[in-house]
Amino acid sequence: MAETATITTTPNGKHVSKIPGLVSPANVPGTVAESKAPTAAHPAPPPRTPLNQIYVLPAPIRTFPLPAFYPHNPVSLLHLAYVWLSQIFRPPPPEPSVVHVGVWDPETRSVHVKHPASIRALWEQGFYGKGSLSRSEPNWLKRELARRGSPEAKTVSELRTESRREERRLAKWERAKAELEAVERQRLAEAELHAAAAAQSKLNGDFNGHIWEPAESTALATKPNGSAHKTSGQLKAPVGPMELLSLPNSSAMLNGSTTKFTGQFMAPVGPMELLSLPNSSSKLNGTTVRLTGQFKAPVGPMELLSLPNSLSDLELKAPCEREIRADLLGSSVSSHNEPKLVNDDEHAVEASAHAHSSQLMHELFVNGDQPNGHINGVYSLASNSSLPTPTAEPSNGTKDIRKLEPPKRRKSVRFSPNVESTTFQHSDPPNTNHSPDVASKVDTPEPINGESISEPVPSKLSPITGPLSMETAYSSLDTTTNVSEVENKEHFQLSPEEAFFLVFSLGALSVVDPVTASPIPPEHLLRLFRSYSYFPPRSGGLRPDDPFLVNYAVYHHFRSLGWVPRHGIKFGVDWILYQRGPVFDHSEFGIMILPAFSDPAWAEFEHEVPKRSWSWLMGVNRVLSHVLKSLVLVYVDIPTPIVFEESMERGGIAAALKKYTIREVMVRRFSVNRNR
Amino acid sequence: MSLDDDDNPAVGVASPIISGVSSSAALPPDVSPDALSVDDLIEDEGTASQDFRLFRKNAHVSAQTIRKGEKDFESHGTRAQVEALEQSRAAMRDVLSYTRVHTGPQRNLARGWYFPQWWEGYQEELQEGEAGSAGEGKEMEKERRPFGYIRERVVVLEGSSVASMNLGRAVTGQAKDRPARGKDWLLPEEALYLVERGSLDLWWPTRGLEEIFPPETTPKEGEGEELDEYDLGFPLSLQAAYALLIGKDDERGKISLQKFQVYSNLKRCGYNVLRAPPITTQPTRCPTVATTTTLWQWLTSILTSQPHHKHYGPLVRPGLYRSYTSIYRQMALIPLHKPSRSPSNPRNSPGEPFAIHFHVWKAAQKWTKLRHPPPDFHLAVVDAQESAVPTLREITALLDATPHAPGKPEWTGPGRLYARLKHGHRNGLVAVVDHGVINYMRFAEAAFGEERIYERFDARGHMKSGGKKYGGGARSGNGNGGGRWGRGGRGRGRGR
Repeated sequence: MAETATITTTPNGKHVSKIPGLVSPANVPGTVAESKAPTAAHPAPPPRTPLNQIYVLPAPIRTFPLPAFYPHNPVSLLHLAYVWLSQIFRPPPPEPSVVHVGVWDPETRSVHVKHPASIRALWEQGFYGKGSLSRSEPNWLKRELARRGSPEAKTVSELRTESRREERRLAKWERAKAELEAVERQRLAEAELHAAAAAQSKLNGDFNGHIWEPAESTALATKPNGSAHKTSGQLKAPVGPMELLSLPNSSAMLNGSTTKFTGQFMAPVGPMELLSLPNSSSKLNGTTVRLTGQFKAPVGPMELLSLPNSLSDLELKAPCEREIRADLLGSSVSSHNEPKLVNDDEHAVEASAHAHSSQLMHELFVNGDQPNGHINGVYSLASNSSLPTPTAEPSNGTKDIRKLEPPKRRKSVRFSPNVESTTFQHSDPPNTNHSPDVASKVDTPEPINGESISEPVPSKLSPITGPLSMETAYSSLDTTTNVSEVENKEHFQLSPEEAFFLVFSLGALSVVDPVTASPIPPEHLLRLFRSYSYFPPRSGGLRPDDPFLVNYAVYHHFRSLGWVPRHGIKFGVDWILYQRGPVFDHSEFGIMILPAFSDPAWAEFEHEVPKRSWSWLMGVNRVLSHVLKSLVLVYVDIPTPIVFEESMERGGIAAALKKYTIREVMVRRFSVNRNR
Repeated sequence: MSLDDDDNPAVGVASPIISGVSSSAALPPDVSPDALSVDDLIEDEGTASQDFRLFRKNAHVSAQTIRKGEKDFESHGTRAQVEALEQSRAAMRDVLSYTRVHTGPQRNLARGWYFPQWWEGYQEELQEGEAGSAGEGKEMEKERRPFGYIRERVVVLEGSSVASMNLGRAVTGQAKDRPARGKDWLLPEEALYLVERGSLDLWWPTRGLEEIFPPETTPKEGEGEELDEYDLGFPLSLQAAYALLIGKDDERGKISLQKFQVYSNLKRCGYNVLRAPPITTQPTRCPTVATTTTLWQWLTSILTSQPHHKHYGPLVRPGLYRSYTSIYRQMALIPLHKPSRSPSNPRNSPGEPFAIHFHVWKAAQKWTKLRHPPPDFHLAVVDAQESAVPTLREITALLDATPHAPGKPEWTGPGRLYARLKHGHRNGLVAVVDHGVINYMRFAEAAFGEERIYERFDARGHMKSGGKKYGGGARSGNGNGGGRWGRGGRGRGRGR
């Protein structure tokens, strides 16, 4: 995958050094592959061999079927005769024609195969064994080449799994984002409704500022419906912690309120207003241009009625709103030469004179917004003891409000595809129609000199960064060696059951001793495997219920029926069964082996009947059904030692295995609700 | 059960057919759930489909108030969310605070009397009746279903048997002068289930059965004058009903708590449940069938004699092979299990924990307590703490106690391989009860030996050559699509 290596920018914009050892025309610095679709930049991949051709043999034995004879086609008869005669006179070597060589490795209790041709053959002809450095198919070399830029990367299953996972993660992230947007839209719509309601209620409201009384405000926060309070004429500033917490939540709500506020206009002293001040210098510049005339507040009832009600109205009014802001800023920033946003706290101190009247406006919303107020009130019960009143110390109050902000944005720190944008910003692309003031300001606690820190960075969210991050992770580990120098450090491992099946049933493998390098005869190999199925390996005292024998009986049973059993430890079972092989289909069955000692003669021999609890069974079944497999309990009825030894004497392991009987029992959870 | 995690709300609306003693039984069977009275619906609220839409008539809760679907795990500050939550709570409160009223004593609430000793010695009578007068029609009826757990029946139901369409059983074939003739007698689990539902008022008699239910032959007293009903006995509480009816497994007239829990769970889910009759001795024809099949198997095994295996392999002799079938045949060592129509070992009856205890029918059938099709499920009840995963002997006995039930006949070919294997040839349910939480497991006798995957290997090679031919035909031109060439192509398609 040479192209992916040439991508020079990671999501955070850093330059990544390329693979120096790889010299390819695509690797010239400056030919940056477009980051939108790296797959499109690939040349057409070399035609892949179909899987049916690679894995055509179900066992390491070839068959020579005679060609079909068609009575109406005499040529087919000639063909048949030719094939038959040629096989008579020049017979092909007896199958299995190739006997692979494996080395017994006592440390890992497996048989190692080193020869590359043998490795491929054993994998492709029946899916035996696994690569020591791979998940199952021995493709470490391929992965390594892919890491170093070879174009074969696409064919490695581990990498495909990786990229699939990445895609899935991105899809989930997108979904979460969409959900968040829906919530945001809902919130906006509600804010509009509130703004309309506020404009209405303000018409008949009484605006006498009252001194706040603690007892009354708690009653207000916990009252189940606020209608009674709405009609009461006396409104007071929200000075107590409860009311501060029950202030309106969304910025749009707040913006609506600032535009519609009547009477004499005052500086934004309340913490929420401070937070909703414009942050970016560009915005500020825009506003200062318009800082011209004196703003005239709508005082008369007619003007109030003509105030905007809907979101589109609000958008139309936006310039007007900015003027208000600019006006505000003009008062506090007038000593500076260039327009610049000062610290919130300073600002608050300067403007604290107007605190009462601005909070009075919030009161309206507290009354109208009962459910929110309720929730926030509950939250604040735990924390209000440490919260000072903002009128006494406005600067501290602002900070505290900001500290209490998180419960509204608990979702904002997840679902990010990369490390840089750990916070999901409300000002990110989908939310363009919504004023980003409050959202961005929460993320940037101290906007100094009006510099916008929380600018939306679209590249962070582009879905292409996921797969890339994997590639860059690979290339960052890069070394300077050339592709051609890569030596295969992987060997192939056969489990004892697989090795014994290849030796005993097919005769396609010969296991050699690691020390003497001489082939181990099958009977010795059997004894070896049986003794090594205990830990520590037993030299004597082998029994018919050796773990190896029980496992092998099951393995042999399913192999001889044509299934492909593989070790199922990844799924919490003993074996998993493939109908054709892991490259073709998912395994459908997970097998749990339960030894049984049903022969009454077993009473004379010491044996251990496995006692499996129901919770064990449910656990296994749960795990398996999560990976869409069915559980099969395989009971292996084990012959008594007498019978076993007798048949071993008579006919070797071939006769002894006939004494094992196997019963399969399908287990499934039965759902009462789905079967009636 | 609320602890069940797979409640499917979509299923609940359509299917529940309320089967109980109360008013629903009096309704025609084709009544849709919407038309049922609220009482029934509330009674069946325990059925896993907690569908509050059913309450809309009475509790004034609209179907939209209860939100279903995605869960919200945190408040996101929108008013819509808060309102939805509040609405759901209000709906739940309304439903729960609804007061249930018995509309009439005859329809909804039956009265049962607890007479634990009445049928204690019935076993002999039953056999006597069978052996003796077989001429009567009633005796014929009894012969048809000879066992009804009469000895275990301890509660006699007052009132007509209309109220007990699905439960209870009248003991037939009694003399005319017997008291309580024709009355329905309930098993302990049936009585307790009804008491728990609030459909049965269980009474403790202070007089004998003869006085409460005088025989039909005695002239009736004037029932018009108000007789104090507390002269005959007094009502029992739910606790008393539990104390009287729950016991150990082998106690006559009682049922173990686990079995009752399973029974009650199944009934509430709409199933029809009856106690399974004890396993009778197997009919004689089965063993003969078994022997003939084994004889035939033996003969065939003689004819297609197994190759002599080398002691330590290789089983597959080196040589030239024309097909994989011949290769794999040489590898067959371990005897394959062959599922048979008759149980493998008829005398092997399952021990107590794994004995089939209930027969279960799906709800969607025409079902009466006397006439019903063969059961859909055979159920054993085990305690999760006191038993373990069945051993080979136990599972074999359990499966032998169930009838032969192979999969659908149309499940043929490699496409339905998994369906055949998963369905199995016999199957039984085991209800694992862990302190009241019930988990049902289905055990099925699979036969992998019946499915020889290797027989398809040769077809795979064959179809490969067919594919080549087809490719050659395509290369040489077109117009060769039909006939033999087409067959080759189809063969390739099937092999994928």
